[in-house]
Amino acid sequence: MWPRMIEPVEHAASIQSDALMTSGEAPNVTAVANPVIRTDSLDLGFGSTMILEDINLEFPRGSITALIGPSGSGKTTFLRSLNRMNDKVRGYKRAGEVKLDGTSIWDSQVDLLQLRRRVGMLFQRPNPFPMSIRENVLVGVKAHKLARKSDFDQITETLLKEVGLWKAVSDRLNDSPFRLSGGQQQLLCLARALAVRPEVLLLDEPTSALDPFSIELVESLIARLAPAVTFVVVTHNLAQAKRLSHNTAFFFQGRLMEYGLTTQIFANPQQPDTQRYVSGAMG
Amino acid sequence: MSGLLRQFVNGIKMNSIVLPESGDGLSRTVLRPKKRRGISIHGLKVVSSMASVIPFLALIVVLLVLLSEALPAIKVNGWSFLTSTNWRPGGTYALPVKTAGVLHPQGSSFGVWPLIVGTIESSAIAIVIAVPVSIGAALIVVKKLPPFWSKGIGFFLETLAGIPSVVYGLWGTLTLGPILSRDFYPLIANHLPNAFPFRFFRGDVGHGEGLLTSGMVLAVMIIPIIAATARDLIRQVPSLTEEGGTALGMTDWESTRKIVLPWVSTGIVGASVLGLARALGETMAVAMISGSILGATPTNVYSTFSTIAASIVTQLDSALSDGTGFYVKTLAEAGLVLMLITLLTNIGARVLVKRVATTALPVGRGV
Ligand SMILES: Nc1ncnc2c1ncn2[C@@H]1O[C@H](COP(=O)(O)OP(=O)(O)OP(=O)(O)O)[C@@H](O)[C@H]1O
Ligand SMILES: [Mg+2]
Repeated sequence: MWPRMIEPVEHAASIQSDALMTSGEAPNVTAVANPVIRTDSLDLGFGSTMILEDINLEFPRGSITALIGPSGSGKTTFLRSLNRMNDKVRGYKRAGEVKLDGTSIWDSQVDLLQLRRRVGMLFQRPNPFPMSIRENVLVGVKAHKLARKSDFDQITETLLKEVGLWKAVSDRLNDSPFRLSGGQQQLLCLARALAVRPEVLLLDEPTSALDPFSIELVESLIARLAPAVTFVVVTHNLAQAKRLSHNTAFFFQGRLMEYGLTTQIFANPQQPDTQRYVSGAMG
Repeated sequence: MSGLLRQFVNGIKMNSIVLPESGDGLSRTVLRPKKRRGISIHGLKVVSSMASVIPFLALIVVLLVLLSEALPAIKVNGWSFLTSTNWRPGGTYALPVKTAGVLHPQGSSFGVWPLIVGTIESSAIAIVIAVPVSIGAALIVVKKLPPFWSKGIGFFLETLAGIPSVVYGLWGTLTLGPILSRDFYPLIANHLPNAFPFRFFRGDVGHGEGLLTSGMVLAVMIIPIIAATARDLIRQVPSLTEEGGTALGMTDWESTRKIVLPWVSTGIVGASVLGLARALGETMAVAMISGSILGATPTNVYSTFSTIAASIVTQLDSALSDGTGFYVKTLAEAGLVLMLITLLTNIGARVLVKRVATTALPVGRGV
């Protein structure tokens, strides 16, 4: 049988209540008991342009964090830095550290492919590969040699059931994924990302191209997986951030303006800019 | 002015009209097309559908002309034309004889089998070399090289594509062939085991004119066609899809093999068929490099040989000196066989594209 993803170290709810507290100053981050990812005075830029400066963040294991902020505030740049997707981008500059379980992700000891297996990514638009639905689910499993051939059918079924696609595609596993609807394609990409048993999933506006029904599917899926997988979700949908996340980080003008419990950020923001953004007064 | 031209001009003639004054006191002059009496959408449809049948008609006409020209030869040569290895024009000085009512030189006997074999084998060698080289070159140009170098290679490919085939022929017969047969062919011929696929690479290496040299020159000739198309196709693979592979922890090579190449596969099959058609029909270069042996099938990859296209051009002169006209008709029959081979290749390619395409590709992707 396909093993359950990863046992949660601690339940997210218990982490947030005692770990992440907001105080007066911004960015205000207190130490988290067991952060899976933390950034230490991370600066990011392209060429001579500085995009983000001095970002200090900790993502508690098993939590869901929403990254919010206006367009161009650097959310995508930040997110893509967490699994080194920017490394090959022309002009990309960085200073400071991103630590996964205490080890720098740029450490020479780190296996880049393994890092990306542990820290997966889902993109704004669905991007199925040109291979059958079944192969899409299995492609990462095969690349990382995570299972034996005899388990492949079982894995395909488990993952497609997990993302709620099984009923719709069980009789056409060998068909092209491009004939699925956009929402179904995104769910397939989620299944593909989950198949390599990631510890962290980075989601860049994962539902912005989806209809409300599919959005609800994806959100409930994230909520259900959260204790086992740590989620970092970029979203422009404030209601989604509010519904879905435990913690929220607000990026603004090249800075991490505010970071704290989602309830706090929305109900009682400490910064006037945050206040304006979450109340919809900005933009 | 002729009716059609006048209609056309009326169709595009515009008259400017002035709109009634608006509240701000400014009048707006706009261009509005006059009610069209010119070429209507319907007319356009008729014209374009006429244009679209032209290639089809051309094919039919060429086939018919060739067929009527070849018909007497088909009657005399019979089915054995396809299987026989004879190529005997017959006695020019003896009196002509009649078979099935067709006049032809005494003792003439034609078989096109060695030419079919030569055509297919030389093209097969060319395609086997050209496709991987082209894909590899396209991948390197798109993925690895800085823009300056990829532009340079693009220019180089276009230049290669523009070189006349007679120049390739000269190069092959004067330079490449002698070098290969002196320095490289003996190495291959003497070191391969005497077992099934390698057997054809053993034996007499000749002097450079032959199957392998021709295949290589043909490969160089069709690489520009395939590589340029492959490069353009690979550039069009969405980066979002490729990044999906990277984000999953796939290596560059895995992404290329599992994402990029399947994405472009149908297009590359199409480009390869174009290249193959060029190789099958290549005349001048092969005529110069093959060694022009018409009556025997190649025994190994270094054998001299000939193709249908090359034979037609090398034999035309003596064919025209045949007073009965039968030799020329036989060449027309050989041309017919070449057309059939090309047609079959195209059909085969369509079947292949269908099979490749059903694997999985975005709907409506126009490649
Ligand atoms: N490859 C690049 N080269 C140069 N500048 C870049 C590059 N990618 C992003 N930028 C710049 O970095 C800034 C932040 O972009 P980023 O995509 O991270 O913003 P974002 O917060 O994700 O915006 P959105 O909400 O619109 O997705 C922008 O000003 C953008 O122009
Ligand atoms: Mg973005």
